[in-house]
Amino acid sequence: MSNYSYHELNAMLNLYGPNGEIQFDKDKEAAKAYFLDHVNQNTVFFHSLEEKIDYLIENDYYDKEVLDKYDFDFIKSRFKQAYAVKFRFPTFVGAYKFYTSYALKTFDGSRYLERFEDRVVMNALMLAQGDKKLAVSLVDEIISGRFQPATPTFLNAGKQQRGEFVSCFLLRIEDNMESIARAINSSLQLSKRGGGVALNLTNLREAGAPIKKIENQSSGVLPVMKLLEDSFSYANQLGARQGAGAVYLNAHHPDILSFLDTKRENADEKMRIKTLSIGVVIPNITLKLASTNEDMYLFSPYDIERVYGKPMADISITKMYDELVDHPEIRKSKIKARVLFERIAELQFESGYPYIVYEDTANDANPIDGRINMSNLCSEILQVNTPSEYNNDLSYKTIGKDISCNLGSLNIATAMDSPDFGKTIETSIRALTAVADMSYIDSVMSIAEGNKKSRAIGLGQMNLHGYLGKMRIHYGSEEGIDFTNIYFYTVLYHALKASAKMAQETGSPFDGFEKSKYATGEFFTKYVEQEWKPATKRVAAIFKDAKIDVPTQSDWESLAKYVKKHGLYNQNLQAVPPTGSISYINNSTSSIHPIASKIEIRKEGKLGRVYYPAPFMNNDNMEYFEDAYEIGPEKIIDTYAAATQHVDQGLSLTLFFKDTATTRDVNRAQIYAWKKGIKTIYYIRIRQLALEGTEIDNCVSCML
Amino acid sequence: MITRPINWNKIEDPIDLEVWNRLTANFWLPEKVPLANDVQSWATLHPDEQQLTMRVFTGLTLLDTIQGTVGSMSIIGDSRTQHEEAVITNIAFMESVHAKSYSSVFSTLCSTADIEEAFRWSEDNPFLQKKAEIVLNNYHGDDPEKKKIASTLLESFLFYSGFYLPMYWSSRAKLTNTADLIRLIIRDEAVHGYYIGYKFQQAYQDASEARKQELHDYAYDLLMELYENETRYTADLYDSMGLTEDVKAFIRYNANKALMNLGFDALFPKDTTDVNPAILSALSPNSDENHDFFSGSGSSYVIGKHEATTDDDWDL
Repeated sequence: MSNYSYHELNAMLNLYGPNGEIQFDKDKEAAKAYFLDHVNQNTVFFHSLEEKIDYLIENDYYDKEVLDKYDFDFIKSRFKQAYAVKFRFPTFVGAYKFYTSYALKTFDGSRYLERFEDRVVMNALMLAQGDKKLAVSLVDEIISGRFQPATPTFLNAGKQQRGEFVSCFLLRIEDNMESIARAINSSLQLSKRGGGVALNLTNLREAGAPIKKIENQSSGVLPVMKLLEDSFSYANQLGARQGAGAVYLNAHHPDILSFLDTKRENADEKMRIKTLSIGVVIPNITLKLASTNEDMYLFSPYDIERVYGKPMADISITKMYDELVDHPEIRKSKIKARVLFERIAELQFESGYPYIVYEDTANDANPIDGRINMSNLCSEILQVNTPSEYNNDLSYKTIGKDISCNLGSLNIATAMDSPDFGKTIETSIRALTAVADMSYIDSVMSIAEGNKKSRAIGLGQMNLHGYLGKMRIHYGSEEGIDFTNIYFYTVLYHALKASAKMAQETGSPFDGFEKSKYATGEFFTKYVEQEWKPATKRVAAIFKDAKIDVPTQSDWESLAKYVKKHGLYNQNLQAVPPTGSISYINNSTSSIHPIASKIEIRKEGKLGRVYYPAPFMNNDNMEYFEDAYEIGPEKIIDTYAAATQHVDQGLSLTLFFKDTATTRDVNRAQIYAWKKGIKTIYYIRIRQLALEGTEIDNCVSCML
Repeated sequence: MITRPINWNKIEDPIDLEVWNRLTANFWLPEKVPLANDVQSWATLHPDEQQLTMRVFTGLTLLDTIQGTVGSMSIIGDSRTQHEEAVITNIAFMESVHAKSYSSVFSTLCSTADIEEAFRWSEDNPFLQKKAEIVLNNYHGDDPEKKKIASTLLESFLFYSGFYLPMYWSSRAKLTNTADLIRLIIRDEAVHGYYIGYKFQQAYQDASEARKQELHDYAYDLLMELYENETRYTADLYDSMGLTEDVKAFIRYNANKALMNLGFDALFPKDTTDVNPAILSALSPNSDENHDFFSGSGSSYVIGKHEATTDDDWDL
């Protein structure tokens, strides 16, 4: 058997062993074989660290500026610090993913120049920007797996030839040709540098709207989607990652049904959108109309802008609905509101799309002055924006504010083991802020300026299910939800405290702080006036054992004063991304949703088809590793709702259904999510099991 | 003679409805898969590997052509129920979709000259032609059960020497979107083979002992005849890459599966059907892959069942 290659050993995870057990040991063998047969034989050898660093700088692999901020002895001791931990990848996928996608390679791609420890140290040195104390803390937080920078940062840090560190970009498009052209240029520029781009199409005039007062001229949002799709396919980040984009449209835009139909299985090739992700922005009024089974009116964005002097994305359809319906100069059409929801659910079966943003929920919970009208490629970024104006030559007349966000996630299981939980969070917030401070993407000025003013970051979380399984708590149980609530509550406290501390140090709060609910104190009401503490004995004991103090009302009172006095350095602090790749190298379950399968099948261009076991799962604690399809949408929504109330931005929430579900089940979950205060819904996944009699013998991921 | 309209509200055999529902939910077209994302990966294959891949796909195209235009048509007249006829028309149509899918792969990845070379090869390759001849002879015969045997062997057995290669590539991070498309085909073929085999079993149960013996012997003889040809075909294709032994284990594994679909015992002992785990795992027709916008469309989504919401659902 030992003549199997690492790929084959890894695949054996998905096949039951002779006694019906999951063959975890085969995966360990695969990881070992991968190092012996592949990594070690393809790694460039250096006699000393000094020789290695010199070589990497001289040959344009490492960025000299990053290292010049420290003396060599300090650098050397950071490498020693990292190597002393004796890090080993617990799974094959973790190691394989790291070496295929993250490790520095020779320019011809044939040999590795870095191990995991080297990448960690380069991240710490780059993010600390010469602050030695912070560099020491960062090495500690990252090598211990407590804090994990998102892919663009982790991949690029310290490299001379690299993309940007920022994960996500969100762009507005206004209803004119200059803005559309700018948006395409910006999408190309940002895709080239890495990170996903989302664009808001709500302001674009609908199909059939007039151009220069001549009726029936515009072809609506679809051709713009086509242009964007092709732009994203063209641009990729040095081949490291394919460009990827999303577009959002308000549910009351007249093109909404054709927008959705681009994802139909039998759509005409001219109309079909294959790789561009789509999302629908749904205001409360749409749900209200569906609830009473009424028609919903769709409004011409062209007329709205003409009549009100404001683009459609900048008005609240919920508040303006009756007025718009009665206004004679606003062209409108109508559809049944429930039909829209049914159509959305049908499409989600066929394609997983669209994402959903509950616009009013997001705005009601938004502490920042301004309006949220879209989300991003992973539906966890929710920030305010303002329009730009362009001259005929596409230069800026007014630079508006577009959105970017750099992300990083805590591994809940290792964070709970942190010797100093508050410090872990502060260090992570500082690392993410460093990226915001260092980034100024001048190829898209609205992004550069937006970032400069807001310094928005998104601290995420992952490995919730892994941690709960390890503690023998069922996902979505009373204790599971209680833990989620108290964990996120505690994280919020430390995140705000860290950001206020930075505002104090720099004397520079984010632009617009004084108009925020943080400044007025309104944000803190629910923490000062209401007591938050563990509802179950188990969770109280967990935090006590971990020596993590749960903040009290008086803690919040002093924090509110501190924030009022100094402000916050970051406009936004938290966003919980779906964490694909980084959760494999960090040995986590993705984000805070349940595992999709006990043995997850991962397919990616760079990886091929590989198999990943749920972290902490073994043949004894299997019952705590129910998969998302067994757990069902309600418990997932309950868990996310507990977290959502403490997160200023959004959380990528995927819902999982068995193929016995109908469009009605999907609609009911969407309604339930809205009722529970969920801000966005990401993918809908449907699992179809093989017809009885056609399944593969002995396959782990094929069994219930 | 009275012509009866098909009544789906009166189901004689629930399997007909179950399979119909499954097949329609699984409907797909090759345009769904972003094959163009494999262009870079295709360029990393050695010219010999590219040629092998094209030949394998031409071989598969030929089988799907036979099955779509002759095979399913030849068994439709023997249907036991009207619903079976309807299911078989769906099978026939999907086989043609499969045959066209390979052309989508070709036109996305290869030049016209290469495509034509591969098609010429398929006409000249003696083993491939013999495979077609054996199956076609059966389809042109007049024994309904023997046609079903041939059809099941084709669906559950003969395709797999070809399916091996895209699964092999995808386990090595090559042509992963093409593999998605092939997995969609495998998902369909698994149901086709199962269904036609099931219909055979029904006829078999009604047959006399002598007839049973005849069909049993016939199935094993035909399988052996095809198997012998298949091993030569496999060696012809895969020797250059050193994969022949592995592919042979895989076709023995699937030969056993085909026999099981017909309700017969496996022929090849377990230790000769030890399929490479990477290939076996990659075959899983379930849709439980985890993928996102960075990783292609996957083979997981299905056409959903529509059900209107009620007022109770909308109690906000």
